[in-house]
Amino acid sequence: MSRSNADLLQGTLGLLILKALAGQELHGYGIARWVERATGDVLAIQEGSLYPALRRLEDRGLITSRWALSENNRRARYYALTLAGREHLREDAAVWLRFAEAVTRVLRADPAAV
Amino acid sequence: MSDTPRWRRYLRFWGADPEADIEDELRFHLEMREQEYLAAGLSPEEARRRAAERLGELDEVRAWLRRHDRKKVRRTERVRSAGALLQDVRYGVRRLWQEPAFSAAVIAVLALGIGATAAMFSVVDAVLLRPLPFEQDERLVMLDRVDVPLRYEGERPPRSVPDLTDLDSLRSVFSQHAAYAPGSLNLTGAGAPAHVNVALVTPSFFSTLGVQPALGRPFTAAEGEPGAPRVAILSHGLWQRQFGADPEVAGRSIELNGVRYQVVGVMPPGFAFPAETELWTPLPVPFTFAYWEPFRMYMPTHVIARLAPGVTAAQAGERLLALVRAYREARSPGGELDPEITAASLVRPLRDFLVSQRRTALLVLMGATALMLLIACANVANLLLSRSTTRRREIAVRAVLGATPGRILRQLLVESLVLSLAGAALGIALAYAATGALDALLPARLSGVAPPRVDARVLAFTLAVAMLAAVASGLWPALDAFRADANEAIKSGGPVGGTARGAARLRRAFVSVELALALVLLVGAGVMLRSFVAVLTTDLGLRPERVATLELTLANATHGNLAARREFYRSVLDRLHSVAGIEAAAVVNELPLRGGGAVGFRVSAEGKPPAAGEEQPVALYLRVTPEYFRAMGIPLLRGTTFSSADGGASGPLEVIIDETLARRLWPGEGAVGQRLVLPQGVRTVVGVVANVRVRSVEDEDREAQMYLPFTESAPSYAAIVARGSLPEGALMQHLRDAVRAVDPSQAVYNVRTMEQVIARAIAPRRATTTLITIFGTIALLLAVVGVYGIVAFGVAQRTREIGIRMAMGARTGDVLRLVLREGAVLAAVGAAAGTLGAWMLARVLAGLVYGVSPRDPVAFVLAPAVLIAIALLATLVPARRATRVDPVEALRAE
Repeated sequence: MSRSNADLLQGTLGLLILKALAGQELHGYGIARWVERATGDVLAIQEGSLYPALRRLEDRGLITSRWALSENNRRARYYALTLAGREHLREDAAVWLRFAEAVTRVLRADPAAV
Repeated sequence: MSDTPRWRRYLRFWGADPEADIEDELRFHLEMREQEYLAAGLSPEEARRRAAERLGELDEVRAWLRRHDRKKVRRTERVRSAGALLQDVRYGVRRLWQEPAFSAAVIAVLALGIGATAAMFSVVDAVLLRPLPFEQDERLVMLDRVDVPLRYEGERPPRSVPDLTDLDSLRSVFSQHAAYAPGSLNLTGAGAPAHVNVALVTPSFFSTLGVQPALGRPFTAAEGEPGAPRVAILSHGLWQRQFGADPEVAGRSIELNGVRYQVVGVMPPGFAFPAETELWTPLPVPFTFAYWEPFRMYMPTHVIARLAPGVTAAQAGERLLALVRAYREARSPGGELDPEITAASLVRPLRDFLVSQRRTALLVLMGATALMLLIACANVANLLLSRSTTRRREIAVRAVLGATPGRILRQLLVESLVLSLAGAALGIALAYAATGALDALLPARLSGVAPPRVDARVLAFTLAVAMLAAVASGLWPALDAFRADANEAIKSGGPVGGTARGAARLRRAFVSVELALALVLLVGAGVMLRSFVAVLTTDLGLRPERVATLELTLANATHGNLAARREFYRSVLDRLHSVAGIEAAAVVNELPLRGGGAVGFRVSAEGKPPAAGEEQPVALYLRVTPEYFRAMGIPLLRGTTFSSADGGASGPLEVIIDETLARRLWPGEGAVGQRLVLPQGVRTVVGVVANVRVRSVEDEDREAQMYLPFTESAPSYAAIVARGSLPEGALMQHLRDAVRAVDPSQAVYNVRTMEQVIARAIAPRRATTTLITIFGTIALLLAVVGVYGIVAFGVAQRTREIGIRMAMGARTGDVLRLVLREGAVLAAVGAAAGTLGAWMLARVLAGLVYGVSPRDPVAFVLAPAVLIAIALLATLVPARRATRVDPVEALRAE
């Protein structure tokens, strides 16, 4: 499945969310924190877009949600990856990595050598 | 059981309420972030501010989420309910399949009710509701008292009423107008010779109706001038039948009664106005007898017009009334206008004119089908109720398993809907099969113009009826089945006493209603049947048995002159007289009751001019050969028939009058030998005959009639009549042979017995009566089945009670009475209510009955008696079963 680069960039937040959920079930705040920690606080998720993005992923059947008690005993909505979501993550991650690699190579190239 | 609707449970998937969930989720996020900042050492205010800042526009996010979630809930709900409905339908179909006999009975009953309603609706729709196939048909009107200008032997007779030329000055009222005159002619020169329905129409006819030829062109104004080249336009059907759908037909020559015409166009399919016209030719203005002659000297002309924009029929009527009044004033100053002439009679909506009196019959029949449908619904409700005891346990189980009340109710209604849709499908098939048979119900003037058909409109109507029937028949049983106490039903495992009794009461009520409705129909059928018998036994003034007739129109080309025509008729009669077994043979210019018109003339007695203000009597005028009265079986009361075939052409001119005219002109004196003044001269009355119902069987006016010798003018249109002892088929064949022997190329039509002529004249009444009788009979059967069902059910329920009674010494007679009483009470209640209802509804039959009162006592006594007798008969079967109850067995059961 090939997708345009514009889609890819827009889907970045989704990709990050899916990646965050790949290992565990998380609530929205947990997803934001995971991304921050994973990137060494370099990338901070736009929190205003986080919840709409979660809804869209859920609509597409990539994640599911349920209410459960959080680590501090609060009622929180937890999100988890579906099988389809896991598949999607693998594909998109591969595409993204190829893309990033290409961009990186371009940026590192010696302008005179080409 | 919880009252929460089922869909709410789906929301609990997220939580109780999506809005609160959004709030919770966002608050949780903010608080977690806040704690994070607090842990990092920020002040509480600072922590809260930073947390909120990171989330961005909170209100926007919240609004977006709310919108999204609401949409999602709606979507899921739709999908879910569609799925559940499908599941209900599948479940319903499966259940009904498990009880094929029950389902078939219900579907058959509903198919009868719905099918009859659909079929009647297709007719009512075609005749009363659907637009006529003209442009803006509601703007078209029929004008009365407007003549077509006539030129008679080169001169125009003085005008006494407005004519077409006057309409030209009323353009502000009638934007367009046209005249037409229907008749029939022999067509040759295209395929086999045929007799076709022809309409003479002014060239503006097609544009007034707003219909144009599909092929070729309409008539030009010049073609409406007298003496213009003769042209013709074909109907689509005639074009296909006689011209092989030739696309090059325009320009072809044809002959109508031996006169050459050129085809200029073909009308689109479905256009047959006026009634079943197959060919149109221009009606020249002024009209001359040369055009009239081939049309059997009689041709009704009608004038139609299109109302100018913004003008109502009533306003147009007033304008025309003023004009008619002005002519009347000019003719005889100070004279009063005929009271029948009103604005409404002068300008009638076209549809009113075309439908005329059939409207009442159609509405009565539509009402009858509605009653039948109600009975069918009550019957089905009854059948469904009979199952409610068994269903109750199943429903209770489902309720315990978590089905909500709404869901169960819907399930039951879906079952009813499945049944009634199946009934509707079968009903539509019945209606489709019946459309041809219903043609007799159509007004004659509309036949071919607006044929009834089962189309999308009828299907939509039927679907709506089926839905209503499903609710009408299913709602009560569903509610009843439902009222059961779930625990009670499961625990007891046996018949549920209390509620079953309630259901039985409900069923008795339904059966009473059925009986009452059936009786209304039955009484109506009784009145109509009595009325029909009155029609059949009416003294028509003639004896139609053993009489055969045929009709023919002589072509001008071959029989243009009087001598040739006389010779033709004389030869035909001579041949018939030579056939053994033919007692009398004659020729008449207009067969009684054939539905054509007859012309009337004003007449008076010589020497007795009408007194001032006294209307001169009008006598219908027929031309006959001397043997006509014997052939037709018309009693010759006094005097003799014509002295010879030419009716005294050599001596004084003769006339024969009917008793009505004799009584009117010479009351108390002998009419024979008196002198009658006609517009064409004075004649001697030679005989007096009985009055004949010429126009209609039901015509109670007894219009005066007079007979002139046929051979005087020997019209080219004639009917030949023969009476004989031969079988009817042979008689008709002899008539045909006689004409063929004289002129093999002469076309004949309407070869039939006089009884067939009369049957056709009363066919609409026969159809109405037959249908209402069928409806009444079906209604009676349905109601009686209902009675049987409820009583049989009661007996089954009371087996134990009956057993005890018998053990206590009750005799067979006692048990019989016990059960019969139940049926008798039902029948009595139904009969009383039905008689009352029929009495109140009798008025609607007033316009339909002939010879009896709409509240005919015979029908009002007999119908309830029949109903009660048959209801008791239906009760007798279960009653006899009750008497055979073995007390020991009955007590051991349970």
